[in-house]
Amino acid sequence: MIRTILNLVIFTSLFALAAGCGSPKTSENSSTKTTPGLDYGDNSSLSGNITIEGSSTVEPISNRAKEKFNGSFPNVNISVSGQGTGNGFKALGAKECDVSDASRPIKQKELEVCKSTGINFYEIPVAYDGLTIVVNKENDFVDELTVEQLKQIFREDTAAKTWKDVNDAWPDKQISIYAPGIASGTHDYFVEVIGKKDGKGLRADEQTMLSEDDKALVTGVKGDKFAIGFFGFSYYDANKDELKAVSIVNPISTKSVAPSMASIESGEYAPFSRPLFIYVNAESYQRAEVKEFVDYYLQNIVEIVKDASYVPLPADIYESAKARIMKDLPGSHYLDAEGNKREGSVTEVYTEANLPK
Amino acid sequence: MSNTSAGQGELLGDAVSPRGKLRPRSSAASKRWQTVVVTGLVFCALVSVFTTIGIILMLVVESWGFFSDDKIEIWKFLTGTKWTVGQTQGELSYGIWPLLSGTLRITGIAMMLALPMGLVSAIYLSEYASKRTRSLLKPTLEILAGIPTVVLGFFAVKFITPYMLEPLGDFKTFNATSAGIAVGILCIPLVASLAEDALRAVPNRLREGAYGLGANRLEVTLKVVVPAALSGIISAFLLALARAIGETMVVALAAGSTPTLTLDPRMPSQTMTGFIVETFKSESVVPGTLSYFSIYAVAAVLFLSTFGITLVGQIIRMKYREVYD
Amino acid sequence: MKDSVAQPRKHRSVARRKLFNNSFSVICLLVSSLAIVVLATLLVAIFSTGGNWLSFEMLAGSHRENNPEESGIGQAILGSLVICSICGLVALPIGVGTAIFLEEFKPKGRLLRIFHGLVQLNINNLAGVPSIVYGILGLTAFVYMFGAFSPIRVNDQPDHEIGATYFYQTKTLGGQYVRFPAVPLIQPVIKIKQGRNASKINGDKFKLNVVSASTEKSKYANQVNETVLLGTEAKLSSRNGNQVYEAKTIGGEPFDFPAEATYSQFAKIIEPITVSNSDGDTFSLNVLSKSEPIPTDPTILAQSVFADSPDPNKRSSASIFRENSLFHLHLPFSKSVLSAALTLALVILPIVIIASQEAIRGVPQTLREAAFGMGATRWQVVRSAVLPSATPGIMTGAILAMSRAIGEAAPLLAVMGGVLGTTNHLSSLMDKTPVLPVTIFKWAGDENQGFEHLAAAAIIVLLAFLLLMNSLAIFIRYRYEKKLS
Repeated sequence: MIRTILNLVIFTSLFALAAGCGSPKTSENSSTKTTPGLDYGDNSSLSGNITIEGSSTVEPISNRAKEKFNGSFPNVNISVSGQGTGNGFKALGAKECDVSDASRPIKQKELEVCKSTGINFYEIPVAYDGLTIVVNKENDFVDELTVEQLKQIFREDTAAKTWKDVNDAWPDKQISIYAPGIASGTHDYFVEVIGKKDGKGLRADEQTMLSEDDKALVTGVKGDKFAIGFFGFSYYDANKDELKAVSIVNPISTKSVAPSMASIESGEYAPFSRPLFIYVNAESYQRAEVKEFVDYYLQNIVEIVKDASYVPLPADIYESAKARIMKDLPGSHYLDAEGNKREGSVTEVYTEANLPK
Repeated sequence: MSNTSAGQGELLGDAVSPRGKLRPRSSAASKRWQTVVVTGLVFCALVSVFTTIGIILMLVVESWGFFSDDKIEIWKFLTGTKWTVGQTQGELSYGIWPLLSGTLRITGIAMMLALPMGLVSAIYLSEYASKRTRSLLKPTLEILAGIPTVVLGFFAVKFITPYMLEPLGDFKTFNATSAGIAVGILCIPLVASLAEDALRAVPNRLREGAYGLGANRLEVTLKVVVPAALSGIISAFLLALARAIGETMVVALAAGSTPTLTLDPRMPSQTMTGFIVETFKSESVVPGTLSYFSIYAVAAVLFLSTFGITLVGQIIRMKYREVYD
Repeated sequence: MKDSVAQPRKHRSVARRKLFNNSFSVICLLVSSLAIVVLATLLVAIFSTGGNWLSFEMLAGSHRENNPEESGIGQAILGSLVICSICGLVALPIGVGTAIFLEEFKPKGRLLRIFHGLVQLNINNLAGVPSIVYGILGLTAFVYMFGAFSPIRVNDQPDHEIGATYFYQTKTLGGQYVRFPAVPLIQPVIKIKQGRNASKINGDKFKLNVVSASTEKSKYANQVNETVLLGTEAKLSSRNGNQVYEAKTIGGEPFDFPAEATYSQFAKIIEPITVSNSDGDTFSLNVLSKSEPIPTDPTILAQSVFADSPDPNKRSSASIFRENSLFHLHLPFSKSVLSAALTLALVILPIVIIASQEAIRGVPQTLREAAFGMGATRWQVVRSAVLPSATPGIMTGAILAMSRAIGEAAPLLAVMGGVLGTTNHLSSLMDKTPVLPVTIFKWAGDENQGFEHLAAAAIIVLLAFLLLMNSLAIFIRYRYEKKLS
């Protein structure tokens, strides 16, 4: 008994010591109590719940928006989850969320599900992202890759086993692949670039780890010397010191370009620059708290996007998005009447003419 | 044991209770109250019965949903060697062997660690240890037993993998070995305490008889005590095995989410439990879809194996227990 | 056991046996001390990673995305405590009851004896079932409730609900939000969204089937007169003095069903109504018509809205939101604290039962016999003789079961999802809340270095709780043992 008490005392004092040693970690500018843009002061009367689901790539942007919004409207309960673009669209169609984050435009099948349950949505582009290919920090042999080499490494039909298979000068070690899973829009976008035209998908063999959780991918690449993976630029930027981004040879200009805010914005970083979207349930938008949130999101979007390490779109795109909402014009610009996807840059596709009649 | 008059009064159930209240109660009323109470107790017992029935029903019904789908054949499920249900792009393969292999690999490593260490600790505690060492070792094992599995998972992924395994060579970030070691650490206290109970249950006469014949401690232990307690020890092993198979959080953190069919312990290895957790984490569980049903199919295999092993362990313990009277 | 025949052999073998004996003793010691080394390494590793990050801010704060310096586990601690308390409240009575039944009320009849044996075997096996299987059971039984109730959707109220008050809120021209209570009304027109019991014109009752536009016609071809499309409008009318909604099935046959008062999603503001704002003031809303000029005085502006108009920018409909009271409940439970607590109760039930059984078995038989000798019924024996002496053992078992519950992550992950932080604090049993083990799990999987330290700090807190509970158990055992002896 005495011994037990002794143990208890020792442990408790250890605990107290550890707590005492704890210096509160403060950082300078992380308080979000003051909000730029529209400032209503502390309007705690607005209440309600907003559910946002979808892409883990867009999740950082929605999270920033949520934090800033809650600074002004603390009583609105917003929950953000990033289980993949595909799952976000499923939730949107099943009326389980108010806003769906997406790192690719909606597909025809998903559109039909929404139609069958009576869902209308506003398609709002929010940012540019550069899909970043990363390797381990200690990888000294890969500096740039061509799209052809990427196809060799990532496609299910070619599926190179070792680095040597891709380039003779590289070590004869197995490639470990960390890629987003099937529900991720990043996955879909990558497959479009490297394999869609030939009907080939991403490899899913024993050397590949697929996960919708981008954080797990970062951890994976960090810990494995011969690893390669890809995800949104924001995740690379947050871990710049521990990952190495690979420059991609632009197929048109044949120059190798490293991903950065500047190269993504200018479009030089190709073919992996892509727009990110949010899809807002039109019926949900009629609710006061959702309307306030979406308006706030769009009003402050440039700052929110930059904070999340993504690249803002040109101002007139944001104006068009606001106009769609104002004029109550739901629907997707990226699917035509037959259900085919429209190609082109955001500025080309996002016009009123492309909306469904 | 109280023999005070107050106690007696309570026991009589009527007349005066210690606080002086008059509580007249006929024996008929007491009997009626007892029936009420017993009914209540029966309902309590039924809860556990319903739990098992619920688990079995749910697994059977929903696995039926999995196997009745046109794309699935039960034969392929049981013998196939590729599992791509979580990643349904292109070909859908649903052979369970990669998940089973993951479970077996991690359980194997765990048992290689836990069984010897647990058994030796149990032998030490029951046959060799002095009071002082016992009072240090037993609490240690009890503390280890009480550590939540997330803590061990954290330890595995943040310490075992980077510090112990990386220097040794080509280990991937998520691999079977660090998860196996962590699960082994989890199981050591279980093996130790159950085996120790079994060893202690062997009556001393057997030991004394052996000493009397001139055996030393090692021989007494290995040739007399352990064989006598064998059924309990085997039962302990089986229970630890079941525990290792069902372990979830450690493998979710440390073993990765790629199903692999290999004997290489350095590769990531998704287990059955790991697959279920991974599917929950991605929250793509829309009732009615194939991936939703696959959870139940895998859970059915998991349940059957742990239930089966536990059952066998119980039966061995009860049937083969040597009774010395 | 060696026969004393050959002397040299015996001499050699004695020395060898002695060698083995001593080395085995040493091996045993080393191996056993390995366990201590492992534990020590574990504790040191965790304390060194997380020790610095423990602080009062961290204990009180809540999770901030991508911001480990400002994240905390306050919500998680509260969530864990609430869920474990409810779990204990449910599991303990049932567990102790089952143990009493198994130990004290052994039946005589053969059939009942088999039942008894089965229950006992069942419980021993349930203790070995992986906790994730309980998570799946909880998901099916408590969250989805076997599909008996339709799932909760956005922009819709749950069908079966108590304890929620609804308000409408709208923005005044001055930019402030005001609210007023919502009243369920019988709406003139509603859209049919789910199946219900309905009756045909001739009085026949049937179950209405609702399908979405994309469902294949073949699936309901033989039920066209009992099926409608999702979203079909039904108009209010009356039949036999009751208010009903009338509509037509896909096959063209008219039917009706009783009208119920419901909350409409939006309320149009046409005339001045009493509203309250965030400061708590109540006033009458000043409703302007489109043609009136906008007032310039900000105070008046703050209390004015336009009358309902088709212009979305001048729309003045108020939208509904819900305020939960402490007793808010709805069916199905869906992902909530209640589902999590019930699932956890199932997980620890076998442990409670087994521990209570052992405690009850430890009560000497003479105590019972003395009570029987006094003429007590079985239950009286239990209540007055067995339970009081078994109580310390039962309490110890209960506390140990609770300490197991507080560390379980897998079932909670399945039933509540990986909740890390909620904007509003826990206000009712239907909310989701973070808990310590799930928070540790998610932080451990985060690639941000800061969260690794935070996870270790959270582990320290969790271990401290466990230590506290175990010490309590030991203390109780010690004190009561002393009391009884």
